[in-house]
Amino acid sequence: MLKNALLTLLSLVIAIGGGGGSVWYALKAQDGVGAIRIGQWTAFPDIGTPAADPYSKARVAREGVLALGRAEGLSFVAERDSGGGELKRECTYTIEGGFPTARFWTLYAADQSLGVVETGKPRLAALQSYGVVRQPDNSVIISASDHPMPGNWLLTGGFGRMYFVLTFYDTPIASSTGLSDVSLPRILKVGCNA
Amino acid sequence: MRSSYATLRKLLHAVLLGLLGAGIVHIVVLLLVPEFSERDAWSRLSTASDLYRMTRLDAEAGGAPVVKSVDPLFYATACRFDLGEGLVRIKAPGHVPFWSVSVYDRSGHNIYSFNDHTANDGVLDAVVLTPAQMIDVRKDLPEDLQGAIFVEAPIEEGIFVIRTFVPDDSWKPIVSSFLEKSSCELQDF
Repeated sequence: MLKNALLTLLSLVIAIGGGGGSVWYALKAQDGVGAIRIGQWTAFPDIGTPAADPYSKARVAREGVLALGRAEGLSFVAERDSGGGELKRECTYTIEGGFPTARFWTLYAADQSLGVVETGKPRLAALQSYGVVRQPDNSVIISASDHPMPGNWLLTGGFGRMYFVLTFYDTPIASSTGLSDVSLPRILKVGCNA
Repeated sequence: MRSSYATLRKLLHAVLLGLLGAGIVHIVVLLLVPEFSERDAWSRLSTASDLYRMTRLDAEAGGAPVVKSVDPLFYATACRFDLGEGLVRIKAPGHVPFWSVSVYDRSGHNIYSFNDHTANDGVLDAVVLTPAQMIDVRKDLPEDLQGAIFVEAPIEEGIFVIRTFVPDDSWKPIVSSFLEKSSCELQDF
């Protein structure tokens, strides 16, 4: 009798613990369903729309996200450089290449919660396309570092993991057909402060 | 020997049943999270302010590990509305480098969005209403609503968000005052 009770208890623990835990894990993972990957950059074009999958919907509800609409823009997040290493706040990176068509874009260095990194300096750790110097072929080279760099300098600072968030505003790539042949800039590691 | 074999079989049976249950619980919990979340955008806004009150989102801190609603180079403001009480009109005077707006339903899904290129003369003047209210409004369009953008949304409660671009520090006061002067009003009709 006691054995049966114990077995029932075991089943219930596995069911409730495993079920709840797996949902929690799935919602925490950065990747997830509905992601579109272009190089190192990941976007969730469907997030926050009624057409989103149940995982995105649960994530939106849990985190209080108000996602950008299709007519507003589309955000890409990078967590790794071209070599596959995690982005670090103490390292210097070069972000270079062409950018897809948009009215303008913004790029910022983010922490784990995707808020802009706090550097303790008046300069914001963000750049936007109206304020960058372009190459003759219209591509852009950006240096992300904690000390001043020539050309386009994206200030970072501190230690630990870092993300780059690149958002295109008023862009045709936000509509579903535009995403297939988009190329985004590469993120190259230059070096790290020891 | 036989009894320990039977025990093992029972144990395996219990574990398999548990895993099956875990699958069911996973689906049920996943579908219930949006219903019962107290951390969604609506709940966060309702603790900050009342219906039809514009609330700045950019000063608000809070962890959102997916794509946050606010870019550091953007200012944003939001108001909650209830179309069950009537149509809601959102206006903001003046011009800024870029603005875009989104209408969200109660659970934070983006229903409709547009930006300043869509608007007449780049002026933000929008009315959110249900399809039923739209039929009434169409019969006799009031004079002062003629330049407005009509957003038909099949929802009752919702959130209206205005996002504005701040290219550099010199734009901060202009963009701030644009958002401060924005209004979110229940429109009599």
